[in-house]
Amino acid sequence: MKNNSFFYFLTLNLLKEKRRYAGIVIISSLLIFLLSSVLFISSSIKQTLNYTLKAQPDFIVQNIKGGKVAPINSNMVNKILNIYGVEKVTKRVYGRYFFDDKYSTLIVGVDFLDEQSNKNLETLINSTDLKQFLSKEQMIIGQGVKNYLKTHYYNLEYNFLTPDGQMKNIKIFKTLSSKSAIISNDETIMPLKSAQKVLGLKENKITDIALNVPNDSEWQTVKAKLQSLNFNIRVISKKDMQKAYESLFNYKGGLFLVLFLIVIATFSLLLYLRYTLAASLERKEIAILRAVGWSIKDVLKLKFLENIFLVIFAFILGSSLAYIFVFVLNAPLLKNIFLGGSNLTNFAKFTPVVDYGVLSTIFIIFTVAFLSSVLIPVWKIAVTEPKEAL
Amino acid sequence: MVIIENLNKFYEIDGQKQYILNGINLSVQKGECVILKGVSGSGKTTLLSIIAGLDKPSSGKVIIDGEAVSKLPDMHLSKFRAKKIGIVFQNFNLLEGVNLLDNTMVPLIADKIGLKEAKDKALNALKLANIEHKANKIPSELSGGEKQRGAIARALVANPNLILCDEPTANLDRENSLKFISALKKLHSMGKTLIIATHDPIFEELDFKHKVVEISQGKIGFAVDA
Repeated sequence: MKNNSFFYFLTLNLLKEKRRYAGIVIISSLLIFLLSSVLFISSSIKQTLNYTLKAQPDFIVQNIKGGKVAPINSNMVNKILNIYGVEKVTKRVYGRYFFDDKYSTLIVGVDFLDEQSNKNLETLINSTDLKQFLSKEQMIIGQGVKNYLKTHYYNLEYNFLTPDGQMKNIKIFKTLSSKSAIISNDETIMPLKSAQKVLGLKENKITDIALNVPNDSEWQTVKAKLQSLNFNIRVISKKDMQKAYESLFNYKGGLFLVLFLIVIATFSLLLYLRYTLAASLERKEIAILRAVGWSIKDVLKLKFLENIFLVIFAFILGSSLAYIFVFVLNAPLLKNIFLGGSNLTNFAKFTPVVDYGVLSTIFIIFTVAFLSSVLIPVWKIAVTEPKEAL
Repeated sequence: MVIIENLNKFYEIDGQKQYILNGINLSVQKGECVILKGVSGSGKTTLLSIIAGLDKPSSGKVIIDGEAVSKLPDMHLSKFRAKKIGIVFQNFNLLEGVNLLDNTMVPLIADKIGLKEAKDKALNALKLANIEHKANKIPSELSGGEKQRGAIARALVANPNLILCDEPTANLDRENSLKFISALKKLHSMGKTLIIATHDPIFEELDFKHKVVEISQGKIGFAVDA
């Protein structure tokens, strides 16, 4: 290869300034690492939310009294079933059970014999042997609940204290996958009747009713009909649920913005330093190269290759470290900033999701800005008469 | 070989032209050694820079081997300089942190020469300059005289016919200056054309044929064959 002396010189140049370049690579990699980590976390959360939303019914009907959710008669299910276009109407019992004054779990009571209930929960409790599960009074618990119970030596079962002062023993059947832990971390899923006992509800009382309307053009009509059943009724659509989930995590967008601004400020500082370094330290080197016969194009090629190598190296290093940090080490420190909707320590495992579009945008912006900060001063020096720069 | 025609270099300060070079006409034949003599600020370094294409004249032209150097576009001028002109600077201008062998190779890299060939040529040039034993040393590990010989090797590596030296002995002691002069003699005997800008009286002791051209206030004062 005729050009190998050029690449030999390029390598020499990189090695010659290894300390300076190592500093640049470390700072750049750190910035890329921070940006990519936040990006990976938000992509992963977004995917988990979509995954969880898929399991939700189209509508949830609740009974509101004095601005609070009140128990609803289970015979309301029959009234709803009479509405045209509605199907898969399911009774549900939701409520928070406090282990102590600090930690609580969200009890989800489901009629497991109802096909629709299972369908709605299938993404959460897939591969569960229902026959075995329903053979005893058992529950499926989230990662956070499991950990809480474990620290209190409840490895196989738990005795719930019901509102009427009785103990209700329920066996632990299995733990929910950490894949859905962002949402299900503090959940306890149990049969409807068990949940009614734990939450102190009568047998004919439930907390809400879930239903589906397959034809989405009927949603508005069905919603109006549901509301006309009783003036106390509140109808929550899937879109409302999506908004609620998004707002739960989106308020953390402020933190992202602060982090992003810090990264931008540090990056600007790095570019400024790179610009001044190129303009001062490399001035003489460029003039010497020009004096011994290098053209402006040769000098720009050398500096371009030198810096594109640094940029690519820093980018690969930063994004790979971010991948390991988020998806292998589960983002220590950052996780607590972005999660925390649950009041139990969150044991969510971030599902590996890489948004290549955003990653490419970061790469392009980083590369263009970095290369400009070097090539502009280098070009300015290279076009000056070498005598002036020497 | 080198023809300088009515060369002017001036800067305009408050509408007034300040001449650095004023109407220079000079002809240097192939294989000739020309000493440009003059005090500091007389314009000899500027003249040398314009001949090398490192600076542009305000008017007039420099013709080397039939090419008007100052009119050449950058790509051609760079190639022309790499192949036909070797320059030895007053402060050596070696690349810091790069060993002498690699420093010597630098002019060949722009010419897209293969690595092995470039290394061989650089080693030959170092031998010619009598500094091959320091090939693996970086400039900060070399004395002034050794750096100067390294700079000569770099100027010779592409085998140019024209060697330009700007105050080559200004940073050398007498012993190293004499060594440099014997290197010049060697180059002269090889048929290289030499143009040396200096105010060092040691060049009055040259024991080979040369021409002394005095420059004073940007003008050629006298030219004598010695």
